Amino acid sequence: MDLLRSIGITEIVFQLMLVNAILGLSIYLTLYTGMFSLANAGFMAIGAYVGVVLTQNYDLPLWAALIGGMAAAGIVAVPIGLPVLRLRDIYLAIATIGFGEVVRILILNFDALASSISGENVQLTRGALGITGIPKITETWQLLLFLVVTVYILVRLHHSRFGRAMAAVRQDEQVAATMGINVVYVKNAIFILSAVLAASAGVLKAHLTRTISPGDYGFDQVVNILAFAVLGGTSTWLGPIIGGFMLTAMPEILREFKQYRGIVNGVILLLVIVYLPGGIVNVNAWKRLWRRVRRQPSIETS
Amino acid sequence: MNRKLVSLLLVFSMLLLGFSVVNAQDEMEAPLIGLWEACPTPANLPATVSVGAIFGLSDAVAVYGVPQRQAVELAVEEINGSGYLGESVFEVKFEDSAGNRDQAIFAMTKLVEEENVLAVIGPTLSSEAFAADPIAQENGTVVMGVSNTALGLTGMGDFVFRNSLPEAAVIPGTIAQAKEALGLAKVGLLYGNDDDFTVSGYQVFRQALLDNEIEILGEETFAKGDLDFNAQLTNLIGQEPDALVVSALAAEATQIILQARALDYDGPIIGGNGFNSPAVLRDTGEASEGLIVGGAWNYGNPNPTESSVRFVEMYEAKYEQSPDQFAAQAYTGAWLMATAIRCADFGADADLATQRLALRDALLQIKDFDSPLGVFSFTEEREPLHDPIAQIVSGGKFEPLAVVMGEGG
Repeated sequence: MDLLRSIGITEIVFQLMLVNAILGLSIYLTLYTGMFSLANAGFMAIGAYVGVVLTQNYDLPLWAALIGGMAAAGIVAVPIGLPVLRLRDIYLAIATIGFGEVVRILILNFDALASSISGENVQLTRGALGITGIPKITETWQLLLFLVVTVYILVRLHHSRFGRAMAAVRQDEQVAATMGINVVYVKNAIFILSAVLAASAGVLKAHLTRTISPGDYGFDQVVNILAFAVLGGTSTWLGPIIGGFMLTAMPEILREFKQYRGIVNGVILLLVIVYLPGGIVNVNAWKRLWRRVRRQPSIETS
Repeated sequence: MNRKLVSLLLVFSMLLLGFSVVNAQDEMEAPLIGLWEACPTPANLPATVSVGAIFGLSDAVAVYGVPQRQAVELAVEEINGSGYLGESVFEVKFEDSAGNRDQAIFAMTKLVEEENVLAVIGPTLSSEAFAADPIAQENGTVVMGVSNTALGLTGMGDFVFRNSLPEAAVIPGTIAQAKEALGLAKVGLLYGNDDDFTVSGYQVFRQALLDNEIEILGEETFAKGDLDFNAQLTNLIGQEPDALVVSALAAEATQIILQARALDYDGPIIGGNGFNSPAVLRDTGEASEGLIVGGAWNYGNPNPTESSVRFVEMYEAKYEQSPDQFAAQAYTGAWLMATAIRCADFGADADLATQRLALRDALLQIKDFDSPLGVFSFTEEREPLHDPIAQIVSGGKFEPLAVVMGEGG
């Protein structure tokens, strides 16, 4: 522990590393099934706001807020997923970014909207100012337990019939369909699972950072979540976890570089992307890199 | 041959530079700020007293964060150069939060729990403060916001201070003075509805307008990053308001002023803190004529305090650019911290918790502190107390609102 602290990873950094690993896994699920969906920040927002309202306005414990937030996101994901998942590739990305923006703007204007409908002065999401003064009640062991359980479920999923169906859908939807896989069902189920996972991260993070506002769940956040998965690699579940860990911890470890921090951080990321294009956790990329490194001296001697 | 000459020249110029720096330090006069009389020169302080500072030094927020750091560095130089803390050295450890809430939390944890600083200045944004300040509060460490204006900030705990006037302290005075000087009866209101700063500004404006019985003809909104305000402005101007009241940040403020003038609106525009920037005045040129701004400090203030004049001189000499309100507040914040340390004069062997508590108590005692912001005191709620300024742009520079209108009317 002391070693981690000495390089800049304090408990709160570790906690957010775990949260970001969960976020990475949520987008990994859809990417693994061949869906380029960027709705995760929107679902994270739904989870965070529902969770915080449950703990703050209804005095419920964290686990109840967690279930509430996850359920809310899951319910929203059904009517969104059915039409939107007919789209592919970049069109799906655009549609889901749109969904995220709709969620953000709805939360932003929720009080005004609710006030004008009900005729009373509603103060729930507090617009752009956001909700402040949320107690910090998420514990490290809860996050660790949640991550371990998630990974366990993922591993079981991968080795099940459903997991193989996911891989098949990614490789070729039409072939998968002719083989008797219910493509619509698989895609929607994974979309909902991904939404639920993003929402759980939203609830847990809101109770770490003490304050939430709609601006936290904009396009920036989507890009961050995507980066966790892309940097770590999407060939196994370990990739997004490592990616989330690394992207959260690195700026803190590099604090010693003061104003050059951003440059050093950027150079490291660039090196990873150039030399390990499949992500950090990708055996083939490491093998290729190793071959390149080994070949180098033989060229010089010849 | 050539290379030798160049290197010789380089060495020579460096020597020259070195000499001039030494000279500059020798010539440093006693600062015009600080409680030199009220508190004796401290004799018991540890050899180094460390304070943390969290500013947004990278990303978009660096427009505010960099002047803040520069101003604090200037203050540290003056404090150590003048022996304000006796033998003891005043040290500020800067951390970058990049305007990001998570990073502000990390930086606060690092400073307060790992580096054991006495107190923290910052963070730059109110949204960061709401996330990071509770960490300082839990550790019994003073945190002083020097640019946080959101409502309810100091309500987070008895170690949370700020020296930046909240909108609620600036805007009511601006509106009341504007009503008196211009006879406002009906106005149009325009604000950014997706930013905590502009929304709290809007709320205070609205309340102040209601309190002064000024009719609000219409309310229009925009989003952060918008470039075209013609639709909203046309709606508002069409209702023939006596003035446009705008709550916006500097980037949008510039465009709003220019586009309102392009729509042939020549009445007054009343803005909040966001308009109080030298950049807005520079970028809008003649269009800014008739702009009314309330703020805590202004570069163009025609009646600055002596320490304000001195601060502007020193800042311009050191950085070759003009300070803004954020710099003035950060500079004052660093001096307030040093003053609290001077007056507390805790012993070197006192444990950290005692030192931090002594600093908080000393900070609360500061009354009538002569600073660039004016005569400054902390209220019991750890809020700043000093006169805000209400000014109108007249002839390309800021003039006190009351004076200009007195001449005209």
